Amino acid sequence: MTGIFVYSDQVSLACELAGFGKSAGAETHVVTTDEAAATELKSCGADVVHVLRGGDNPPPEAFAGAIAELLKGAAAELFLVGATVRGRELAASVAGLLDWGMASDVSGLSYSGGTLAIERLVYGGAVVQRETLPAPAVATVPAGLCEPANGSATVEIADVVPDSRVQVVGTEPIVRQGTSLAEAERIVSVGMGFNQREDLSLAEDLAAALGAEVGCSRGVAEEREWLPADRYIGISGLSVKPQLYLAVGLSGQVQHVVGIRETKVVVAVNKDEKAPIFKVCDYGIVGDLYTVLPQLTQAFN
Amino acid sequence: MQNTVACYKWVADEADIRVHPDLSVDLSRAAGRISEYDKHAIELAVQLAGNSGGQAVGLTFGAEPVRKSLKDALSRGLDEALWIKAPEQATVDAVVTARALAAGVKSLDGVGVIVCAEGSGDSYARQTAPRLAALLGLPVVTSVCEATFVDGVLRATRRLEDSLETVAVALPVVVAVLPQINRPAIPGLKAVMAAGRKPVTEKTAEELGVDLAPKSEITSMKGFAQARKNVLVESVADLVAALKKEGIV
Ligand SMILES: Cc1cc2nc3c(=O)[nH]c(=O)nc-3n(C[C@H](O)[C@H](O)[C@H](O)COP(=O)(O)OP(=O)(O)OC[C@H]3O[C@@H](n4cnc5c(N)ncnc54)[C@H](O)[C@@H]3O)c2cc1C
Repeated sequence: MTGIFVYSDQVSLACELAGFGKSAGAETHVVTTDEAAATELKSCGADVVHVLRGGDNPPPEAFAGAIAELLKGAAAELFLVGATVRGRELAASVAGLLDWGMASDVSGLSYSGGTLAIERLVYGGAVVQRETLPAPAVATVPAGLCEPANGSATVEIADVVPDSRVQVVGTEPIVRQGTSLAEAERIVSVGMGFNQREDLSLAEDLAAALGAEVGCSRGVAEEREWLPADRYIGISGLSVKPQLYLAVGLSGQVQHVVGIRETKVVVAVNKDEKAPIFKVCDYGIVGDLYTVLPQLTQAFN
Repeated sequence: MQNTVACYKWVADEADIRVHPDLSVDLSRAAGRISEYDKHAIELAVQLAGNSGGQAVGLTFGAEPVRKSLKDALSRGLDEALWIKAPEQATVDAVVTARALAAGVKSLDGVGVIVCAEGSGDSYARQTAPRLAALLGLPVVTSVCEATFVDGVLRATRRLEDSLETVAVALPVVVAVLPQINRPAIPGLKAVMAAGRKPVTEKTAEELGVDLAPKSEITSMKGFAQARKNVLVESVADLVAALKKEGIV
């Protein structure tokens, strides 16, 4: 087997993955379905850039079959794919077509002697699982795990027939209000401990005093619909990395707190001293949010 | 008329997982349940079948404990269930699961839509729907937050990182749904009673010729350790003082 193949619909992530291929000492191939991206992809450590083109501007997922053919023809040993929505679908489709093993959303990876060793979170983030997969194998990798490299690749263009069964009939940007939580320095996060929607003003006042953004648990966004879905944090929502995360009336179940691991200081306000959030916070106050929040707001004003 | 299939998985309840001080993981006391995400898949399969006068079939793969899930699944509106039995000792991965589910789907007639959840509550690998589609030679649509079908065409809205994408695809198709897609109803007493009378088909993986050899091997499981100070402060003043000391405010 020869060669590590990489793909991402995000060019910077494709470059990181190419860097991994190079550091693993393998011949590295970047696959793209975007001819315009080839120029940038040429110089990030890969030996070959494969441009697959065809159809009437189809989404990248439509090239799963063509990519599977390419990997098989080249006897590829690994296919590393950026862990985005499109990337995950494409990667698992390719793995299915080729009957290869696959590791999803890895939090660590290494490759030697024909074995891919990975680490990933399971059970909502409570457990770190290590796995090994013999090559050939697929993995989806999030941004930030691998370093891009330098180099100069040759470009090979191939005309292929993409899958036309799924037709894109419309796209609409997701409009976000306020600073994205993912970049916020301070977050006041509200849980189901608030009795009614109007009471969120207590959290908003505190957030204003702190210059913080307001986030929430899934229930607040999805069950109660008090805040938009792009405001909830956790395994099925956002991961955040603020300096300060202040969790209010939020129990701290693993599916939520997996999203706040990169936080510098976690503070919890909860009336139940047994709430799991107190096990994963730096500072906690056992108390009723309806009395504690106004005091906090006053202190910071 | 279109029949639909909802794939679901019986998973250990992560709330019952014990992590010992040495970070070893104890799953033995974890009760099983239908993966939360899969309840959304069941709900959609039931709704789509209802809209077209078809039948909704629950499809699950797993060893003996899965038996406990059947009544719960059927009480959620499914018309029947198909259980592909895995041997107790089998260690399976997404490769094997997709093979078994594909064999299950092939044994059913007139299937228009196969609904999976985007991922399972335990592994959340998000591989099953695309793999299943690849094995069945069908198109797949993942990350779906809205779906309807009209005249044999499924229209689905996908949630991407920064946009919503609407796609149209002719049936049959495999879809993977996000929890936003719907709100599964809590089954009422009548539905629970009726579930006991609905048909369940059991087939062994062997009978269906499913290759049970996995491609990946789990080499270790460790509790995730989060180093936090865990200091309980007595007053707001103490908290503010602590945050000042941290240089946070
Ligand atoms: C597969 C799966 C995926 C999930 N993904 C996510 C996810 O991505 N994000 C997420 O957030 N959740 C997720 N969940 C749900 C998660 O398990 C929890 O149910 C959820 O996070 C709990 O939200 P909460 O803390 O707001 O509510 P609760 O658990 O109901 O907690 C409310 C808390 O408020 C406290 N409280 C009540 N009144 C007051 C008061 N007056 N003053 C102070 N404290 C008070 C209570 O003591 C309690 O601790 C997921 C669950 C599953 C099964």
